[in-house]
Amino acid sequence: MKNYRLKPPQIIISAFLILLIGLSYILHMDLVVLLNESMVKLVMNGVLVLSLIPMLNVGAGMNFGLPVGIIGGLIGMCLAVNYRMTGFYGFFMAILFTLMICTLLGWIYGLILNRVKGREEIAGIFIGFSFIPLMNYFWTLAPFQNREMLYPIGGQGLRPKISLENYFNHILDNYGLISIGNIEIPVGLIAVFAIICLFLYLYFRTKIGRATIAVGENEAFAKLSGINISQTRLIAIIISTIIAGFGICIYAQSYGFIQLYDEPLSMAFPAVSAILIGGSTGKKTFIFEAILGTYLLQSMYLLSVPIANEILVPELTEILRTFITYGIILYALLVRERRGIYS
Amino acid sequence: MRIKEEASRLLDSEYMVPAIFIILSYFAWQFSGLTGSFVFNQVVTRFIRDGILVLSLIIPVVAGMGLNFAITVGAMAIQTALLIVIAYQVEGIKGILLAIIIGVLLSLVLGYVIGRILNRVKGKEMITTIIIGFLFNSIYQLIFLVGFGTFIPVANKEIILTRGIGVRNTVDLGMYRNTIDKLGLFKIGELEIPLFMIIIVLLFAAIIFYILHTRFGQEVKAVGSNMQTSEILGINTDMIRIKVMILSTILAAFGQLAYLQNIGMFDVYTAHMNADIISCAALLAGGASIKKARIRHALMGIFLFHTLFIVSPQAGQNLFNNAALGEYFRSFVAYGTIALALIINIKNENKFS
Amino acid sequence: MENILEIVNLNKSYNGIPALSNINLSVKAGEIHGIVGANGSGKTTLMNILFGNPIIHETGGYQGQISFRGNRVNFKNCAEAIRQGIGMVHQEFALIPDMTVGENIKLGRENTHSLTDRLFGRKYSFIDRKQDYENAGQTLRRLGISVGVGIKIMNLSVNIRQFIEIAREIDRSDLKLLILDEPTAVLNKNDGLKLIEILKDMSNHKIGIIFISHRLEEVQYVCDKVSVLRDGKLVSQYAKGNIYVNNLAQDMIGHTINKAAAEKREMENKPVITFKDFSVKMPGEEVKNLNLSVYKGEILGLTSLSGHGKLALGYGMMDMYPVGGEVYYENKKLVKMNARTNILKGMYVLPDDRQGLGILADQSLESNIIFTGNQIKNMFIRDSAFNFLGFIDHHKTNFHVHKMMLDLDIKCTSIKQKVKELSGGNQQKVCIARALTVDPKLLFVAEPTRGIDISAKEKILNMLIEINRSRNTTIIIASSELDELKRVCDRIAVMVEGKIFKILSPEIL
Repeated sequence: MKNYRLKPPQIIISAFLILLIGLSYILHMDLVVLLNESMVKLVMNGVLVLSLIPMLNVGAGMNFGLPVGIIGGLIGMCLAVNYRMTGFYGFFMAILFTLMICTLLGWIYGLILNRVKGREEIAGIFIGFSFIPLMNYFWTLAPFQNREMLYPIGGQGLRPKISLENYFNHILDNYGLISIGNIEIPVGLIAVFAIICLFLYLYFRTKIGRATIAVGENEAFAKLSGINISQTRLIAIIISTIIAGFGICIYAQSYGFIQLYDEPLSMAFPAVSAILIGGSTGKKTFIFEAILGTYLLQSMYLLSVPIANEILVPELTEILRTFITYGIILYALLVRERRGIYS
Repeated sequence: MRIKEEASRLLDSEYMVPAIFIILSYFAWQFSGLTGSFVFNQVVTRFIRDGILVLSLIIPVVAGMGLNFAITVGAMAIQTALLIVIAYQVEGIKGILLAIIIGVLLSLVLGYVIGRILNRVKGKEMITTIIIGFLFNSIYQLIFLVGFGTFIPVANKEIILTRGIGVRNTVDLGMYRNTIDKLGLFKIGELEIPLFMIIIVLLFAAIIFYILHTRFGQEVKAVGSNMQTSEILGINTDMIRIKVMILSTILAAFGQLAYLQNIGMFDVYTAHMNADIISCAALLAGGASIKKARIRHALMGIFLFHTLFIVSPQAGQNLFNNAALGEYFRSFVAYGTIALALIINIKNENKFS
Repeated sequence: MENILEIVNLNKSYNGIPALSNINLSVKAGEIHGIVGANGSGKTTLMNILFGNPIIHETGGYQGQISFRGNRVNFKNCAEAIRQGIGMVHQEFALIPDMTVGENIKLGRENTHSLTDRLFGRKYSFIDRKQDYENAGQTLRRLGISVGVGIKIMNLSVNIRQFIEIAREIDRSDLKLLILDEPTAVLNKNDGLKLIEILKDMSNHKIGIIFISHRLEEVQYVCDKVSVLRDGKLVSQYAKGNIYVNNLAQDMIGHTINKAAAEKREMENKPVITFKDFSVKMPGEEVKNLNLSVYKGEILGLTSLSGHGKLALGYGMMDMYPVGGEVYYENKKLVKMNARTNILKGMYVLPDDRQGLGILADQSLESNIIFTGNQIKNMFIRDSAFNFLGFIDHHKTNFHVHKMMLDLDIKCTSIKQKVKELSGGNQQKVCIARALTVDPKLLFVAEPTRGIDISAKEKILNMLIEINRSRNTTIIIASSELDELKRVCDRIAVMVEGKIFKILSPEIL
């Protein structure tokens, strides 16, 4: 952590954030409620952002194919709901299904990405984009039985938004909730997040983890040292996919709904943007960069909604959000190349 | 090993993708139950509607910059020009000409900016153009949804939303509808052939052909083949790339103009979305790759891609009793074609590196 | 006859390291001026400056004056040089493979139709392809080459491409000075002579020629004047009639004071590795049909001109490039080249591109040194229930790395210091430490002293000798520093065009 320099994205976002906090103070908004929400949202979005780390470290770039992992998680949850698994049991089974499905999906995704070294990002975008309509067939045609999940009579296939109210809605959010005055700390949820962070931290200290970082840093060096590049990349991509699957499960239990069909289309960009705001350069990334970036970006999202509603046009929030999201990614693309790495 | 090599060679051939499209289109058409003449008319309409947009993608591919997803910027430029012209209520031919002038100038500036950006990200042009497209879309929305009515005074209140701020979702193009419309349309039995517009599309194709056969065109091809070698041959690669993006953006502006005047309605916030994906998919459907694109790929590709596009919903309805499935097929084909082009092509690159 | 080119007090350094010092040189119109020098002597830098290669400007420009045809010039890019009438025939041809012969010859000077010329200007005028091909055909005939103008470059053989590269420059009507970088390197004897006749013809037409070559006999035959570069300095110049190959060679190599030397000894003829018809497809450094036996415990030198294959041997063994032929290691045939298994068998490669492949620049000394040992041989693993995960035991690594630091005298602030902050010599020592950690039986070293200052060079060479004597490690050193090989090796194998030309004893050289 020593010699860590603040980079422009962090400065810009932090400045913007301070501005927003100031504004909300002036507008007498309930900051405590926002603080509570921000902790939940941190984990909700954070796991998806963490999932980007293995692929960044192995040199496979920013995972714009996040939808692949997300869909794995969606399938996992749908299976659990279909078999009417509720509560902790249900959530645990959803995670288990997700693990199996994402391993398979990640393996295929990894094989494809190994063929497109150097262009993983653009390939990832379109692999993700084309997988989604393919899955739309699955949501429509697969023989799910649980009536609650399906369209009412006359429609075919799963609803686009499946309520988790009878299943594992808020299961982690509410677990171990500690209240200090008006502030509510979701200990259970944060613990889960911490476990995932710990896993990543330990992973990169194992032999394979260190090989992963070497491959990302200098592939030729790793090859010359006898490392199996394809295998190392494959493992990292599978892990990324699995964590992404877990990420959407955690997201859904917090949000209260499983969102299908075209919903995953827009989920990759905010996640990538978050990790870039946190200081990632598109190459080796630290865990705290993911956490920091998630917190900054989502705080900005959180604060901007009520403020925009008060002051200006409501659509402004959405527009500003997307502007900042894509602006950060473009900036990262420009700066990354200028570092003289024409790789 | 031999079989694998033969299979590879077949898959990599320029005609593989068009062949797949022809086969899929044929079967989908049979399932859809639509008449040949209906499909034909629809495809011809798409041809004149999307033709120039697809053509605008060719030169960047030749220059080695891959698929230019930032053609949406050119589309937005002409839309901006149109909105300005409508806002100030300039009617008829005067209005269209003014819109063209403003649109071209705007495209020139924006194309230059995009070119400068892409020169900084050599090797990652495609992903950068996608992000640029999204970013400019935000800016566009910012200007028209928030700016118009607040910072930018508008005389023509008809185009503003009832709340006073922001342009409406759909703007009427009535003022211009009778200028180019249906010029030179003639029928052969049930087939409608809008001759004038087809000639316009072919004219643009001819312009691109011409450009690629000038000294400038040779320099573009050299840059597309090898930037370092071009540099030591005395070619200013950076400048060439900028000029290519300017050209592409301007052509996209014209393309979007053709699109809008054909559709007749102006959906301010959605007309330009997906223009890039559909156009790229069409180009690839014609047999182009991210490294090689020719005019015939564009022209053929529109026919192939849009035929499939047109018959899919009805085929989905007839086969599964669910038109939505046909829609999903459309999306899958569009994105999937591009994904495939990226995967196959890059595999070939890696083989030689 | 005045000078068309005058170079006065030319100096150029890259990152503080001088590449050219005080060069003074002039070329008259019609003069064929040869430039000779070993790799790294500054020839390439000089050519890059003359032709305006942007890399010169990007790395801080140069000091000194260059005058062309009486005017001071300072080219920022190649286009400026070309406009002034300078042409270049590059060692790595500047040809566009997807384009045809005709297109390449006329690139930048295509014939255009006069109508569109007037309408849009020459740059945006429609090309007259027929006229182009006619012109190109004429030029080719002048050179005595028969090849179809419509054939794409990628379908042509290397020696024909060389002539197309030349044709492009000869086709120019405004050519005043032609620079040729190793133009005969890929040509056989007859084609080489043909080229020389072409140059003589051009010289008669008052075109100045700068001719860079390693083939000293050709230089002697064709040049009016020869300049010898060594270590960035101009050490001598000779005029026609006074050019002798021996003088040139001697000036190129020079004399240096050396300390590291291995005593001569008798080697047992027990081969540890044998290559039969071995080939490695490394672009630019191909090995073709290599037949060689390396004896256990010897230090074998491998030398060649750049591009003739010496660097590729080790890389081929580690499956970095496709290989062919057979290799017998410790009397067993190697079925597949796989880096991991070969390292486990006792082979190890110290690459020549230290910065590119030899180190993980952003990681610590410690991580670098233990890397291969840990990954391949499971060394330094913490003993615990989770052995298979492979967490590092820092006690073990500390001990080992500090020992290496002492033994090899690696200068650093701590074992956690990032390797990119070390000097070239210390980085090389880190690479050697990494090699020693796995205790190899057969060590492939490429260009061990490249980019290292004089004193560190000797230390590195001594280190290699020491490793060989104390551990009986067989070492194959691929190097262009013949002088160093002479002092260190038991035998020296000379490679030409990817094959072994001759194996010599150091005394003979």
